[in-house]
Amino acid sequence: MRKWLAIVLCKICRLVGRCVGRGSSLPGKLALAVCPDILGRLQLPRQVIAITGSSGKTSTVEMAAAICQAAGQKVIYNREGANQIEGIVTMVLSHATLAGRVKAKVLLMEVDERYTARVFSYICPTRLVVTNLCRDQLTRNGHPEEVCGVIDAAIRPGMELLLNGDDPLASCLARGRGKVKWFGVDRCAISRDHPAGVYHDGAYCPVCKEPMEYTYVNHSHMGGYRCMHCGHARPCPDYAATEVDLEKGRILLEGDIQIWLSHSSISHAYNVLVAWAVGCSLGIPGREAAAALDGYKLQNGRVQSFVLGRHPGVLLVSKHENTIAYDTNLQYIASRQEDCTVLIIVDAVSRKYPACETSWLWDIDFALLSAPHVKRILLSGQCCRDLAERFLLLGLQGWSIQPDIAAAAADIRNQGEEEVYVITCFSDRDKFLSCLQEGRGTCGTHGGGRLWKCA
Amino acid sequence: MEMRLIHIYPDLMNLYGSYANVLVLQQFLEDMGYEVTVEKLEPGEERVGRRGDLFYMGAGTEHSARAAMGYLEEGGLSGWLKEAARDGAVLFFAGTAMELLGREIRERDGTVYQGLGLADFITEHVEKRMVGDVYGHTVLCPEAVVGFMNKSARIKGVGTPLLCDLELGWGNETYLSPEGFHQGNLFASELTGPLLVKNPHLLEVVVAAICARQGQKLPEDRTRDSLAWEAYRATAARLQGRLWQKPGFPGMGAHSLM
Repeated sequence: MRKWLAIVLCKICRLVGRCVGRGSSLPGKLALAVCPDILGRLQLPRQVIAITGSSGKTSTVEMAAAICQAAGQKVIYNREGANQIEGIVTMVLSHATLAGRVKAKVLLMEVDERYTARVFSYICPTRLVVTNLCRDQLTRNGHPEEVCGVIDAAIRPGMELLLNGDDPLASCLARGRGKVKWFGVDRCAISRDHPAGVYHDGAYCPVCKEPMEYTYVNHSHMGGYRCMHCGHARPCPDYAATEVDLEKGRILLEGDIQIWLSHSSISHAYNVLVAWAVGCSLGIPGREAAAALDGYKLQNGRVQSFVLGRHPGVLLVSKHENTIAYDTNLQYIASRQEDCTVLIIVDAVSRKYPACETSWLWDIDFALLSAPHVKRILLSGQCCRDLAERFLLLGLQGWSIQPDIAAAAADIRNQGEEEVYVITCFSDRDKFLSCLQEGRGTCGTHGGGRLWKCA
Repeated sequence: MEMRLIHIYPDLMNLYGSYANVLVLQQFLEDMGYEVTVEKLEPGEERVGRRGDLFYMGAGTEHSARAAMGYLEEGGLSGWLKEAARDGAVLFFAGTAMELLGREIRERDGTVYQGLGLADFITEHVEKRMVGDVYGHTVLCPEAVVGFMNKSARIKGVGTPLLCDLELGWGNETYLSPEGFHQGNLFASELTGPLLVKNPHLLEVVVAAICARQGQKLPEDRTRDSLAWEAYRATAARLQGRLWQKPGFPGMGAHSLM
């Protein structure tokens, strides 16, 4: 009876929520209140795949779902990216019959790293995919090794693992386990001999803490690593990208399967690889899976085009407190050729901690913006002074601060027509987008904020 | 005049922008006219015995901190640090590095390892992480100190804390207990990341200690980084607005990773 009630309640709340454009978590929360073990009482599809990791989860799930759909497999997934227990309950119950049978061939779950143990205590996935483990949201996660420990403790016997073999920390999850498949990007044109960026989390072996050697680095701490002390090393991938060409915007899988990238960044290339690996692991032929991803444009709003005055613009959503997400977008801007203005907005870092913990700003490689085509950098939001201090000590030139986001947008709108890149987080994205709408009627006005310039 | 800042294990112990404390110290001293050398020491590269005006170690994971302690012993750096401390050099240990200044560290699995023993406290690692904004006071300067705590350790037996009075956040042992350690030229705090960037007044305290060792005083007419002060005041104002909150409110509690 409680199961039935929870399902009905969830479905009704979901319906109402959709009418008002909300409700990816609340229905699940209510269902859990009625029946706390509801996830364990359902009849799930035979294929249940959980995707977790520090970054790339939402994009990977969306693309993996696209592969399944193109192959004619009915798939359900957390489309809105609600990846904590309540969001997962909402997603699953929304697609369940009143008897509790989930109507799909494949269940794809994006799972928040911290919630893996709780979710897996009710739903034991057939396969767990870990995209990567990197510095992300210290306020919630502590540090990547702590997160690795949480996921490690959540893994249940029988689960097959699909791991990022390029990531020395994520690959630790295979230790002592047999059912493991690997994905990775081989040494290719984008590889470097040495790591770039502000910090080097691969400098020491995560197993024994002895210095670790890299033969190449693709991205952050991901690449070809080997610890000469304990032997922890990059495994040979089962699903390999053999070439990534960001200039042409393509990725080559297994030597001869080509996918054109809609967004030319190394993170996106990794996400495409993971999604493809998930598709292949479901028995979908590699070429068929790749065809579904060819030129695939993400629907999750991570990259959006806009026009501001005479400026064409691109909004690059970068999760605050996530170095990989930020650095990827900064690399993307640095790789462009045309003159541009960059607006960085850091306004609300955390709803829970209003002091705006800003240590993470020091892990971001803002030096990438020293490229000659970056003509102007505007820093905005209530943490703009913390950002400015970062830029000041970095010795970057050509930046100014404008705490008021609307005033910053107006300032850009009122001069020039160069490309504009806006980097901000989901929590601050709409504050900028609303400026675009307001701008139609109030073009040329400045907000009450003060402009503070350096060089 | 020359200043030599020794940054110990900058790759191993560098979580969440800890390196920025060295960067801002270097900048401040250079603005004062000093010729500053920052010497980064990685394990195996220890050049024991060279003079240092400041020895700095930043935050690392619990696993890295234990490894760092092992490397300090192996490389002979622990003896050098003790000697330098006795000689009046400034030591600033931030984040988990603070734990290494004490007598011993008890890990979650019950194993114990020895610290440098430069202070008489002990550290106990716990399951729960203590997370949240911090607003407190030190006797070293009139302005409040702002920061963020994210740790899973209780430090017991600190007689001379850096922050004597916390109005908000987690201290060494419990919520609102004193935080950090200060004795002579030894400074330590578990507050996250670039503590000296966020607190320009605390930066001046540490710089003053470095200069005093060379018989110098901070000049009265020194230039001040107005941006850093603006950022500090903005953060302090936001935190002052929360001081009415008590433990149990969102953002105040310890939590475990689920």
